[in-house]
Amino acid sequence: MAGQGEIIAVENLKHTYDGKQYALDGLTFSVRKGEIFGLLGKNGAGKTTLIKALTTLIKPTSGGLRILGLDPRHDGKEIRTRIGVVQQGESFDFATVEGNFDIYGVLWGVPKSVRLQRREELIKAFGLQDVRKHRAFDLSGGQKRRVQVARELMHDMDILFLDEPTTGLDVIMRRELLDSVRERTRQGLTVVFTTHNLEEADYVCDRVAVVDQGKILAMDTVENLKRLYGGKKTVEVTLSGGDAAGFFGALREKLAGCDVKSDGNSGVILTDDPKGTLQRVLEMSQAAGVQMDWLNIRKNTLEDVFISSVGGTGRENNGST
Amino acid sequence: MAVPSIVKLMYRNVKVNVDPGTLIILIGLPAMYLVFFGFGFGAQIEAAGGASPASYLTFLTPGIMSFQAVMAGTVGGSMLWADRRWGMLAQILVGPFTRLQYLLGIMFTSLLFGIAGAFVMLVGAFLIIGSLHVTLLGAMTAFGVIAIGSIFFGSLMLLISGLVKSNNAYNSIQILVIFVVNFASTVFYSFSSALPLPLQVLFEINPLTYVANAARGGFEGALPAASAWQVPLLVIETIVVLALATRVYVRSEISFV
Repeated sequence: MAGQGEIIAVENLKHTYDGKQYALDGLTFSVRKGEIFGLLGKNGAGKTTLIKALTTLIKPTSGGLRILGLDPRHDGKEIRTRIGVVQQGESFDFATVEGNFDIYGVLWGVPKSVRLQRREELIKAFGLQDVRKHRAFDLSGGQKRRVQVARELMHDMDILFLDEPTTGLDVIMRRELLDSVRERTRQGLTVVFTTHNLEEADYVCDRVAVVDQGKILAMDTVENLKRLYGGKKTVEVTLSGGDAAGFFGALREKLAGCDVKSDGNSGVILTDDPKGTLQRVLEMSQAAGVQMDWLNIRKNTLEDVFISSVGGTGRENNGST
Repeated sequence: MAVPSIVKLMYRNVKVNVDPGTLIILIGLPAMYLVFFGFGFGAQIEAAGGASPASYLTFLTPGIMSFQAVMAGTVGGSMLWADRRWGMLAQILVGPFTRLQYLLGIMFTSLLFGIAGAFVMLVGAFLIIGSLHVTLLGAMTAFGVIAIGSIFFGSLMLLISGLVKSNNAYNSIQILVIFVVNFASTVFYSFSSALPLPLQVLFEINPLTYVANAARGGFEGALPAASAWQVPLLVIETIVVLALATRVYVRSEISFV
């Protein structure tokens, strides 16, 4: 099933917890060595279930799955010796930050000299020097997250699974973490990365899969997805005065083939002809007597892709599946 | 040489569970039983024309050592709960371990705690009483049966923690088990046919009674006749409960938190 260079191969993967509803509903994809593969989706989309299947924590109901060329149904332990997993939630031992690193190193069979050296490097790299003697449970949310990600790097691995690793991190630390992940892929590490944050997926992922209700709705490189799903450009309009509702209503009527969305004084227009649309908007604003505060054509973002494929209802379930 | 997975897990379990809270439960509670009950009941017995308090303390010591099997078992159950609650169960199970290894890691840690706790009680009793007479064979018998008891109660608590979904419910059951198992056994007093029938039955089916009887027999240099069936039954019960705990746990859904 696995092609050349494919380090993860998934074919028609299905999983149900209750025998009725599928948390994974026929997923097919592959991940290549050295790639950062992003899984994008709302809460409850099936991302965490997929991570659980890929990390051998659950046995999928049906479908093909090979990790590092091995079958998780029979070679679970062999696979687990070659992967690292940063869970979405907290996972700490009742010990200091240093203690958590040490215990984890022992569990992974890292020789003492290597363990101590890595611990020091990671504590420094993740800015944990000031809290190294603190109990992990007493740290702030961002510090805990840093400990969790850094601790996983105590051992060697071929694939790193990161389940929303940047939650709670500040902008600088988030960027440093993503850069660090990127750097490690240059040394051959493969990364599977789940996130809600479209900006960071855009920043770090080579390819992304948009997952919803256990299905992959779209999958490609970030740039291709933007082109594919965002063939239309976005014109942003913000009014400073006048009858905004009437104006956006008129735009909906007059701009054939465009999709106009508005909220109060602001609106966006998805169009194939951004320059022509811009011109029409200016003309119509003058005719309607409304004052323009902002008018802009912008590049499509991954957010546009996400909204196009998943649907921008903005409603999310709590909890993960 | 590669360290076996279960030893790594035991190292981790000991490291994260040797905290003041666990030590108070594991050592402090039985030690208080030894001191307060030993002197309290001992004085009452002497006042009623019985033997000296030292004599009751000598009787109580193997009982309290046996009680360590229950305490170690509850610590084992709590380890599983804490790992589930704080995400370490899933974290370990996506590491280089099997579910069975994780379970056995807890089980052997319980056994270690049971033996270590019993040894501390033995030393404590020696310091309180001033002398204790036990042969090497007797001590080995006592520690051997306490080891089996630790695995039994460790398995029982793991089984309960695998079945119960709420932490509060688990804590309540744990306290109930400690209380009933401890006081409806021969840890503090001998079995008497003067007991009400339901209590007699409870005494007779309580595995801690088997452990305490055999441990006390080891100290006294002769196993009671009942140990001829109680110890084999304890072994069989331990195998059954261990198998059940393993089955429930291996099949359980492990969630990321």
